Amino acid sequence: MKHQASKKQLASLAAGAICAAAAFGSVGMTAYAEDSTPALKDGRIGYALTDARWAILQTENGKTECPDGFNEGPREQFKALYPDGGAVADTQLERESIARYPQDKEDNFSYRHAKGKYAIGLNLDGKVGPNDFTSEAGEAGVDNQLFRAIGCTRLFRAPDGTFAHFTNMWVREMNFNRILVELSNVDSLENDESVDVTMYRGKDRLITDATGANIIPGGSNRVDERFGAEFTHHLKGKIENGVLTTEPSDVRWPWAVFLQRPGFYDIHDLRFSVKLGPEHAEGLVAGYADIETWYAQLIRSWSTHHSSYGGLSQPSLYRQMYQLADGHPDETGAMTAISSAITVKMTQVFIERSGAEMASDHDQQEQRYVALDSSPAR
Amino acid sequence: MRQILNVFGFLTISAIIVMPLMVIERAMAADTKSRMEREDYRRVPMPPGFRVEHSERDGPVFADSRGMTLYYWPQTTMRNGITGDPKNQSLCTDVPTTETAGLMSPYPPGLTLPELDKRKSCAEVWPPVLASDEAESVGSFSIVTLKDGRKLWAYDGHVLYTSILDKEPGDVRGAVTRQRGGESPAPREVAVVPPAIPPGFGIITTALGRQLLTDKNFSVYMSDRDGPEKSNCDEVCTRTWKPIIAPASAQAQGEWSIVERSPGVRQWAFRKNPLYTSVLDADIRSLEGSDAPGWHNVYTQKAPPPPTEFTMQDSITGVVLADSHGKTIYLYNCGDDSMDQLACDHPDAPQVYRLAICGGGKVERCLRDWPYVVASADAKSDSRTWTVIEIDPQTGHFAQPGQGGALRVWAYRGAPVYTHSGDDAPGDINGHANGEFGGGRNGFRAFFLRDDFFNNAG
Repeated sequence: MKHQASKKQLASLAAGAICAAAAFGSVGMTAYAEDSTPALKDGRIGYALTDARWAILQTENGKTECPDGFNEGPREQFKALYPDGGAVADTQLERESIARYPQDKEDNFSYRHAKGKYAIGLNLDGKVGPNDFTSEAGEAGVDNQLFRAIGCTRLFRAPDGTFAHFTNMWVREMNFNRILVELSNVDSLENDESVDVTMYRGKDRLITDATGANIIPGGSNRVDERFGAEFTHHLKGKIENGVLTTEPSDVRWPWAVFLQRPGFYDIHDLRFSVKLGPEHAEGLVAGYADIETWYAQLIRSWSTHHSSYGGLSQPSLYRQMYQLADGHPDETGAMTAISSAITVKMTQVFIERSGAEMASDHDQQEQRYVALDSSPAR
Repeated sequence: MRQILNVFGFLTISAIIVMPLMVIERAMAADTKSRMEREDYRRVPMPPGFRVEHSERDGPVFADSRGMTLYYWPQTTMRNGITGDPKNQSLCTDVPTTETAGLMSPYPPGLTLPELDKRKSCAEVWPPVLASDEAESVGSFSIVTLKDGRKLWAYDGHVLYTSILDKEPGDVRGAVTRQRGGESPAPREVAVVPPAIPPGFGIITTALGRQLLTDKNFSVYMSDRDGPEKSNCDEVCTRTWKPIIAPASAQAQGEWSIVERSPGVRQWAFRKNPLYTSVLDADIRSLEGSDAPGWHNVYTQKAPPPPTEFTMQDSITGVVLADSHGKTIYLYNCGDDSMDQLACDHPDAPQVYRLAICGGGKVERCLRDWPYVVASADAKSDSRTWTVIEIDPQTGHFAQPGQGGALRVWAYRGAPVYTHSGDDAPGDINGHANGEFGGGRNGFRAFFLRDDFFNNAG
């Protein structure tokens, strides 16, 4: 089942994005014509992703969304399962096996979902269902079941959760994660009923101010046309009241979350909803995250040791993700993806690309998804 | 569009993509002359009987009188403690360990190690290099006397060992577990002979060979347009390619010479090739400069090429080695969590570690999800780095001679290599970092020939 957004739905997304942007702090934007927006040249403006986190609406100590407390992790589960230790093969290796083959054994540990009425996210399916959330701005029908799955696991919470902390830091610091977003055919950053949006993987570091902590606009970044080819995606969008929304599109999102471990997420029906400015952009990216890819990225990048820092039991989470899955059913009707949202910030950059790249990447993207769709489920 | 390239005979599908791949192809399938070139080394005093062996991958290494490579085990800080030899001591005893040490979180110490009935002691796996009672220190080699009165050779204060995995002079299989910082087993290191390079340069071992770097770890390049000891890199050229300047006091020696670019401006040359760095290299150890036509990274010696039936593929982070179908090749790494930190990534070791990762403990699932790379019927090895071995697929151990059902598989440095069923398209690396600590301790890592982002090649 494809989740195609209607124009009406996209309009509601735009409204939601404004509220979302407000929730994360206004960037004080006004309308800009091209001649007053130096970064908008020949109808093009580029941005580089500088911040990205899986969206979790938090209250202090989780009192609202996690009234039953937080989840326990590998250390606690190991102690409960093997209070007297044992052989390496029957204990340590058993746990490592289960992390990779989580369906081999039942998991009897209790799991705490995030609860409550509110969540950050977008209405992905255009419906208001019983499991949907409401945005803080009051938009009903917000789909973010990933928040329900990971919201009460300390690892994913910001700012103290190590996954949330490091993965966001490495969005800036790892060139592998250098997502560039280029808008073209843009008449105005305030209103334009049809713009083209292209995602690239860049290959250069971002420019910071003298403190090193703040990314400054105006840098240039080359497109990684070779190794980043499969991260190039073309989307259609529009701008209303300064908010860019895009039509849903399947996207492979490069996001290495640990040193030396390149990885990505496959997100179905991904759409942007970001407030644009001449120097910065901010808002949400949302879609249905493919669970197998999401989980594979987790176990390959975030070791059992590192998961222990934040109470994450990988095999327990795997089960919950499928239990909460709400998108992309397979031929049996079983859902294979989970609704999700990423809070994002971007800074304006000048994107350097070659003409040849533009001609070839669209075909490559299509071939990639044909290959993925025809591969057997694992 | 990706394409499959045979290592030696490639198909031309896209000149744009082929050209960069040629860079690595050239590095791997070098002409006979360059493949025969071996790294020169500094002649240093050695104990009587010791010698230097030229290893295929690691360059010149110190060896004992039998030619067996020497290793040492420096003290290493792990997640939960320290292991390895303090200077002038040996913790590698002849008593087999039986329990984990809990050096690697999150698992507690005291877990029973597998196959205790077969477990060797550290000293059986790493025989210390004994010194005679009359032996005397020489150069950086010294004598360490143990409490039991035995005398051992040490290098720079580190007790020396050989490895039972090394079978012939020049083998370097003991340090087969590739080190990945603080998450790998406490590493044994190869006693490498100091290379004969001038100050200002360095060398690292990579999958392509012994790569020449500056002392700041930036890549060194040479150009086809230069003549022997003559630079043709003009003013425009030098905006991108910076000649490596030799100081006024520098002297030509051995394979190193000096080119006078203009009066008083002297440039280093290696094997008569003027040397440069690239201002466009964004990171250290880069291979990106070799994408420019006519420009090459510099190696003191090339690594043995992989089997001819293998291919190279572009991945999301660099170039990986792949089988004939384009499936990425993986190496399995394993070290146990005992105080000894013994390797468990070769066919003689307990297979329970590998089976846990590759199939949840199930042999058939391992063979499905992480199959061995079966060698073609006429496959033969022309190096000791890449070999064909016979494996009992049910046990993962070496097959007995003539054993039915044995598989002839490719091995790298004595251990089998694998592909991954989760890789759907050529260049996929979906199995990379699968295992404990991202595959650094017990798991699989892709065989990178080039990695532009994470320094995984090597």
